[in-house]
Parts: sequence; structure tokens; C-alpha cells
Amino acid sequence: MAIEPQQAAAQRPMEQIVRRYPPEQRYLLAIMQDLQKEFNYLPREALGLTAAHVRVPLGKVYSMATFYKAFSLTPRGRVSLRACDGTACHIKRSQVIIDELRKCLGIQPGETTADGEFSLETVNCLGACAIAPVLVANHKVHAKVTAAAVREIIKSYGGRVDEPVGN
Amino acid sequence: MSQLATENTSNGRTILVCCGTGCQASGSLEVLASLRGLLAGEAGTAVRASTKSTGCNGLCEKGPLVKILPDDITYCQVAAEDVPDIVDGLRDGTPVQRLLYRDPVTRQRYRSHRETSFYKKQHKIALRNIGEIDPGDIRDYLDRGGYRALRTALSMTPAQVIGEVLASGLRGRGGGGFPTGRKWQSCAAADNAPRYVICNGDEGDPGAFMDRSIMEGDPHTVLEGMIICAHAVGASSGFIYVRDEYDLAVVNLHQAIRDARAAGFLGDRILGSDLSFDIEIVRGGGAFVCGEETALIASIEGHPGEPRDKYVFPAVKGLWGRPTVINNVETWANVPVIIDGGAAGFAEIGTAGSKGTKVFSLVGKVVSTGLVEVPMGATLREIVFDIGGGVPRGRSFKAVQTGGPSGGCIPGSLLDLAVDFDSLAAAGSMMGSGGLIVMDDRTCMVEVARYYVNFLAGESCGKCTPCREGISLLLETLTGITGGRGSIADLDLLESLSATVRAASLCALGRTAPNPVLSTLKYFRDEYLAHICDHRCPAGVCRELTEFYIDAGLCTGCGLCRRKCPAEAVSGEKKQPHAIDAARCIRCGECINNCRFQAVRIR
Amino acid sequence: MKIVIDGIETAASPGEMLLEVARRLGVRIPTLCYHEAFGGQGVCRLCLVEVTAGEVSRLVASCTYPVTGEIEVRTTTPEIERIRRHIIMLLHRRAPGSEFIQELYREYGCQENVPAPDPDERCIMCRLCVNACEAVGACAITAVDRGTDKRIDTPYGEASPDCIGCCACAEVCPTKAIGVSRAAGHYTIWNREFELERCAGCGRPFTSRPCQERIARLSGQELSGAQLCPECRKKQAGSRVALSMIP
Ligand SMILES: Cc1cc2nc3c(=O)[nH]c(=O)nc-3n(C[C@H](O)[C@H](O)[C@H](O)COP(=O)(O)O)c2cc1C
Ligand code: FES
Ligand code: FES
Repeated sequence: MAIEPQQAAAQRPMEQIVRRYPPEQRYLLAIMQDLQKEFNYLPREALGLTAAHVRVPLGKVYSMATFYKAFSLTPRGRVSLRACDGTACHIKRSQVIIDELRKCLGIQPGETTADGEFSLETVNCLGACAIAPVLVANHKVHAKVTAAAVREIIKSYGGRVDEPVGN
Repeated sequence: MSQLATENTSNGRTILVCCGTGCQASGSLEVLASLRGLLAGEAGTAVRASTKSTGCNGLCEKGPLVKILPDDITYCQVAAEDVPDIVDGLRDGTPVQRLLYRDPVTRQRYRSHRETSFYKKQHKIALRNIGEIDPGDIRDYLDRGGYRALRTALSMTPAQVIGEVLASGLRGRGGGGFPTGRKWQSCAAADNAPRYVICNGDEGDPGAFMDRSIMEGDPHTVLEGMIICAHAVGASSGFIYVRDEYDLAVVNLHQAIRDARAAGFLGDRILGSDLSFDIEIVRGGGAFVCGEETALIASIEGHPGEPRDKYVFPAVKGLWGRPTVINNVETWANVPVIIDGGAAGFAEIGTAGSKGTKVFSLVGKVVSTGLVEVPMGATLREIVFDIGGGVPRGRSFKAVQTGGPSGGCIPGSLLDLAVDFDSLAAAGSMMGSGGLIVMDDRTCMVEVARYYVNFLAGESCGKCTPCREGISLLLETLTGITGGRGSIADLDLLESLSATVRAASLCALGRTAPNPVLSTLKYFRDEYLAHICDHRCPAGVCRELTEFYIDAGLCTGCGLCRRKCPAEAVSGEKKQPHAIDAARCIRCGECINNCRFQAVRIR
Repeated sequence: MKIVIDGIETAASPGEMLLEVARRLGVRIPTLCYHEAFGGQGVCRLCLVEVTAGEVSRLVASCTYPVTGEIEVRTTTPEIERIRRHIIMLLHRRAPGSEFIQELYREYGCQENVPAPDPDERCIMCRLCVNACEAVGACAITAVDRGTDKRIDTPYGEASPDCIGCCACAEVCPTKAIGVSRAAGHYTIWNREFELERCAGCGRPFTSRPCQERIARLSGQELSGAQLCPECRKKQAGSRVALSMIP
């Protein structure tokens, strides 16, 4: 398969990121973190490059990539919505927030909308329990979120929500 | 925070703006920017004030918090628009009344946070500097006696340092409560150098955030503790393993390490002694089980975070097979205080078996949520009611959950329990990292048990059979009960299976996983029975077993629930009793939470 | 040092795994994830025994417990029996498709009738396959995901370029969970298809090219044209290496 120009362009920073660390297994996690941050997911080529760099079989890197929840093997959306379902948030009915997000976006936690705009995740505690329930949209922490607020947040990022919400 | 440098004006006022995660979410950065803007002008010279961004003050719920020294004024829930009034208040010497803290119980306003019931009963050791210093400025830490303990320690022999920690009675704050001095002792005694020191900052317990506050708000105390330990056990390098989600903690720790190196507290021949030691930060990958020490070690080595059997402790065989001391963030924060102030003073605080203080994150259905540090042995009643102000909205207290997913639920009948490592364990729960989650009558205890087991189903490493398969079956059984498909036989299965998971699992995640199930079964069996026999969820949480209705006799027709309902399930004319359409209702509980007449009921 | 297992006194060297001491003594402790070639993993937890040192007794996995002092060991107690029964019950719920597990289920007298999520599943996650794959130097399969979703797979669930088709994984699997489908002249394992090479001696198809290459490399030999199957080779020269490849 011929490498398309676009792909070749994307490859360089990938190599650079990987090579920032010495070729030792102990840097696997750090390399993968940096790649995830740069590309918003771990592209296949990136895993291959990482494995080659630290000289471990691809299977080991894949095992890491699926074990740690900071990593995603599919591209995440432009807007990443992370709803906290930690205990403090759960007790304050975060389930209602998550259900609302599901309904509005039409996706399940862990998925991305077909247009690549929104991805939804649930996380276990963001360390902001005192202002529960919490929703993080692209690093902005929203405190004491309600079902109604969810719709406003989605709208503020250009999403469309049909009203009202049924079952 | 580090990039927001301190502007020092001598003898002037200092305005401290809390920039902890909670306050940032409520807009404290905007408040800080607005203050800086205003003080840069003519107002600045008039009130002679400089600004400082600090770590979390603990009272996140009332954030953003602004403190003014030496006037000793504390403002709550400050918005950028309030800044001109604050500055005006400084000019004419009258605090802005509407921004002062109002006690939720007495409704009285207080000028300083120190006078409030939330702070008065606290005793700050681990949190001593947080909220008082700019974590990005090493001078602030030094001004408050920072690194004095390190100098003292370096003038002592390693054995003397360990002796001091042993004498203090300090026990690990990360959950297990293992005596810290004993751990250091066995590491120092183990041959096979190099030795390592690790700070466990993974803080996976959902609902707890004290370690985050310490790493963000007072990073140098963690470094100082680790350096003292390095001297005591003869370690050459250290690692701080920080939870993936904690971006600000990573930034502040990096800054602190750079500054400590520049000041000669880290690196070769520290302060002219024989000790050479440096610290590296490792970011976690998002896995609760990596808080378990053997999993954490695997993770640093570049493997999936799977624990191993601990028949040989990490203190003897840890990172890369070398002797390794691993302690929790809060444990490290106590070490400089012990060395600086002496073990005897520390050991005077607390109970017979548990010395010193413990930081709790008081969250859930409680009026004042936030971080509180109290002496070991404080009762749950003191923490939840005297400090936390009790349960909000006139609802009734049901339970408090301690110890996170490994802990248990403690009922109201045990509110006078003096909290320490041993008493919590005796009550079927555990200290854990110090999460205290208050639950009211709108919390379903069966659902709470299901919640934790579901959490662990996703967070178990999945290596050993009892944990992976046992939790899966526990979850299926609990989900059946909350879904209205439970039977009495399920309760026996839950109990006997829990015993196996507890006894046979490889690591403490599995061994403590049944705690939420067993403790709710023990104290709240009636709720299980209501789900199974009566097909109802008394708390109105489990969807399949809940129906809300409006008591026409109590409803005044105010319309609040109708307006709040996101599903448009409430209908009714003004001043007439309203009704809920069960088919449209999504059971979110907004109506119940907002009704001032207790007219919304659970069938 | 002296230890006592089920009332029998025996000597053990420090650091020796308890399970191995017991086996030497002829005391049977049930295991699923243990294999002499790889040592203990502490995964299945079937090998739990009660260890008493001084006053304290606790349950340990005998396959990962190193003997470090004088201890007394009991390999069965009512509690241990309950635990083993539960473990078999849980594995039966997970892998009801395995005849081996069905047999154990009967042998242990399990009664709980819990519905199984997947009636065809046969894998019990003992990970012997992963160990075998690593031992032959391929590392084509690993543990993937975590928690209750954990499973054994190749990266992306696709044919792995690292797989050499040695079938050591399928060989070592106690529950026959790893399928090798054979057709004329070739076979498929972990989604990868391999051509069968014929033995130059007896003419029977016996292995794949990558597998031969790996064996040759490990034994430091050149891969010459004519390859013999293990049987023929044993007859001819008594090869050690090729056999040790397949645990
Ligand atoms: C599942 C699990 C999660 C844990 N999570 C943490 C954690 O997030 N932070 C922590 O300090 N200790 C955690 N621990 C406890 C550690 O294994 C270890 O005991 C602790 O870090 C030792 O430090 P200490 O003696 O100072 O408490 C966890 C233990 C288990 C079993
Ligand atoms: S539980 Fe949601 S922020 Fe802690
Ligand atoms: S044989 Fe010991 S745990 Fe499986």
C-alpha cells in the first residue's frame, strides 16, 4: 500500500514523540500517554512504533493499551464529555446526567457520535466531589450539573438537542 | 498555578485566592484575573495588596474562596463581579457582608473562616500549609518552616530517623494502616541495593480527593517526606505515581521538583551530606487497581497493573526486585512534622492504636462538603453533624460510607463510633483513604452495593478467578435485585460467595470487594427484603421499582416541580394539585428535591 | 528447613515454592494455572492451602508461596473445600462449554445453578497459553482488557504477524479452548492461516515454516531444505530442542 502524503505527514510527530524517551520498557506508559494526548487516541501505527522503539512485542503494548483506561483505540470526538460517576457524584444522581447525555447524543459511554463531534465517557471521580455531580467538557469542569444543564452544555458546543426528553 | 507568580509588596495585604480544582470549576481563575487587573491600577496602591493563588482550602462547595490577610477576612462564592466591592471594602475597612461565610446551622455570618463550625473542630497537620501558601513558590514553603525537618534528619543517623517515625506511631494513610516505621525498618534492613522510595498518588477511591489537594496545594511537603525517608533507608531514587486525571498535581509537582533541585534539596550530596537522591514523576494510566502497591510497581516498570501475591513485601522485594518503601501522599505529608516537632508531640494526638490526624473528604448528602482533618478518634457524629452541618434539605441521615469500594456502610446507630483504623474495621468497614460519603433516606443501599460492585467489575485487574468471576456473579445477582428480579435465595448466595471472594482473591482489591455487600446486608437487610418481597425501592432510586406521585392533599400547586421536570412529566393548573405522568417520568427526582411541601411521594 | 504438610514432616530449601515441596512429597494439591515449565502464577487460586506460622494461620496460594520459615500446612479444611467448590462453580459459569470443567463441576459436587453468560465459552483464563507463547518467543497472544471483560487475544483480534503457528498454546490449554482448524495442506489458529510442511522422512504434514525457522534459530542451526517431523527426528538423532519448544 502506498503511503498517502497525509499519512506520511502524520507519521513524523509520532516518531518524534516515541523517540523522546529512552528505549526502555519503563517508558511505555509515558510514551503512550503522550501519543494519546497528541492524537486523542492511539493509532495502530503508533502502537507499532512504540513496540519497536522499546523492543517489546506488539502484543504487550496492545495489552497495556487495553488495560489502562486513559487510552482509546478509536478516535475520540472533537468535544470530549466526561461524566463523573464516582461515589459522590453517583449519590447525587449522576445516573440521571449520564442517561440524559445518552439520550441527547444517541451514543453509549465509550462511543463517539457518527459526525465525530462528541464522545461520551464515564469516569470514576475527578477529585471535585464537593461540587458533585460533575461533568467535564474538554477540560472545563461543570459543577452541580442537572439534566437541564446537560442540554445547555451540549448546545454550547454546537450540538443539537430535541426537547423535551422522554423515556 | 505555578505560572501565576506572587507579586510581593512588603508589609501590605495578601489576598489569597483558592485555585484548587473545586474553586477553579466555580470560576476562581476569573476572580484572580479580575483582582490582578484592578490592583494593577490606582486601587492597588490604595489598598497595598498583593495576590496569591493557593491550593484547596477544603471548603470547595462554597468556592471560589478568597482570604485576606492580615485582616483575616474570608469570602465565599466570589464571582469576578464581586471584586470591585471587595477592593472597596478594603479601602474603607468594612467587609462585604453578603460574601461572608454564613453558617448553615446558625445562619450567622462570620468574618473569618477560622471561626466557623466547619473549621473550628479541625486539627491540621497534613493540610497545614494548604490554602495558606502558593504551591508554586518554594519561598512560601520555606517561610512556614519547610525543609527544616530535612536538615534535622540529615543531622541524625538513619536509625535515629526510623526510631523517631516508629515512636510517633504513624500508620499508613493509604488504606491498610501499616506502621510506617516498621516498613522503613525492613527496607533499610534488606540487602540488595539500590533501594527505592515511592509516593502512591494514585488516589483511585472515588469520592476521595485529599491526596490531590496535598499534591496540588503543598507539593514540597511530599518531597520533603520522601527525601527524609531516602536518608533513613538509603535510597537513591524515588518515584511519585500520580493519577492520570490529576493534571494540576503533575504541573505543581514538576515545578516543586525543579525548585527543590535548584535549592539543593534534591540531587547529588543534598545540603552537603552524603545523601544523593532524586525524584521522578510517573503518570498513571487510569486504573484503580494501580493504587495497590504491587500493581503500582508493575505499572512503573511498564506492565499492565496486575498485582502479585505479597508473600514477600515490596519493602524487601519491590520495584525491579529491589527493596522499596511505598507510602501514601498523606503519610508523606506527616513525616516532616514528626521529624520537626518530635515523635512525642505527634503521638499525643489520636487514639491508642492510631496516632495523629486523618483527612477525610466529606461528601455526598451533607451540608458542608469538603476536606476536613480531625484527630483520630473523632466520632462520626462530630464529623458529619458538627463539622459538616448534617444532612441538607431536612432529609434524614441514613448511613455513612467509609473506605471507598473496599469499605462499608455504617448506619446511624453507630454515629458515636470514634473513628480510627481499628474501630472502622470492627464495624465491618475500613479507613481506606478517607472518603466519607454521607447518605440520606433518598439513597438506596442495595443500589449502593451494586454501584461499588459494578465499579470493581470494571476496575479489577481480572487476573485471578475469585475476583474476576466472583464479582461478575455478585454484580449479576445485585443487578437482579435492583431490577426487581431478586429472590430470597440470592441473599444466601451473596453471603457465601462473598466469603469465598474475600478469602481466596489474590490482592486486597478482591479481598475487600465484598465489604459493601456484606455491610449493607448486615445493617440494611430490610431494604434488600423490600426490593425482593415487596417489589419496591424505599428510597425511590431503583427505576423498575419506583413510582413517584403527588399527594394532592399536600400539593399547593406552586408549579415548581412542573418547571423543574426535564421530562415534562408533571402537569397541573396553577394553585391546583399537580400530577405526574408515570409513563413520561424518568425518575430523576428533581421534583422531590425541589418540593417545599413534601408533596412528592414514592410509591 | 523443616516443614509439616498434612502431618508429614519434610525438608524444604528456603525460597522453594510450597506446591513443589508438596508434590515432591506426593501430597496432591489441585491446580489449574500451574505448569512445571512456567512456575506458579497465582491466577486460578485452586491451590490455596492453610499455612500456620507460630500462632497465625492464613490461606496462601501454594504455587506462589515461597517457604521462608518453619510452617505447618493443611491442604484441605472445610473452608478450603468450600472455596475450591466455589471456584469450580465460577469457572463452570464462565466456561460451561468445556468438558474438562463439566467433569470437575461434577467431581466437586457443585450445586449452585447459575445461568452462564456464554454457553459455548471454554476458556478459564488460566493463561498457560500466554506463558507458552512467551516461552517460544512469539508473544502473539496476551491478556487483553481488564476486569470481568478480560480475555486472551491477539492484538486487534486479528491474525498476528508474531504468531509462528507452533500451536504450543492449544497444546497446553487444559480446556481445549483454542481452536485449530485443519484443512487439506493448511491449518488456522488465532485467525492466521499456515501452510503445512511435510516431513521429509514419513511424508506426514507436521508444522509450519515460521515454526521451523524459529526452532532452527533457537537451536542455532541453519534451516536446511529437508525437515523432519519430531517422530522421525527422534528416531534419527533424538532432538532435544524441538521438543522442549512445545511444553
Ligand atoms: C485496590 C487497592 C487500591 C489502593 N489504592 C490506593 C491509593 O489510591 N492510594 C494509596 O495511597 N494507597 C492505595 N492502596 C493501598 C496501597 O496498596 C498501599 O498499602 C499504600 O500505598 C501504602 O502506603 P501507606 O502505608 O502510607 O498507606 C490501595 C490498595 C488496594 C488494594
Ligand atoms: S465522585 Fe465525582 S468528582 Fe469525585
Ligand atoms: S495453581 Fe496456584 S493459583 Fe492456580
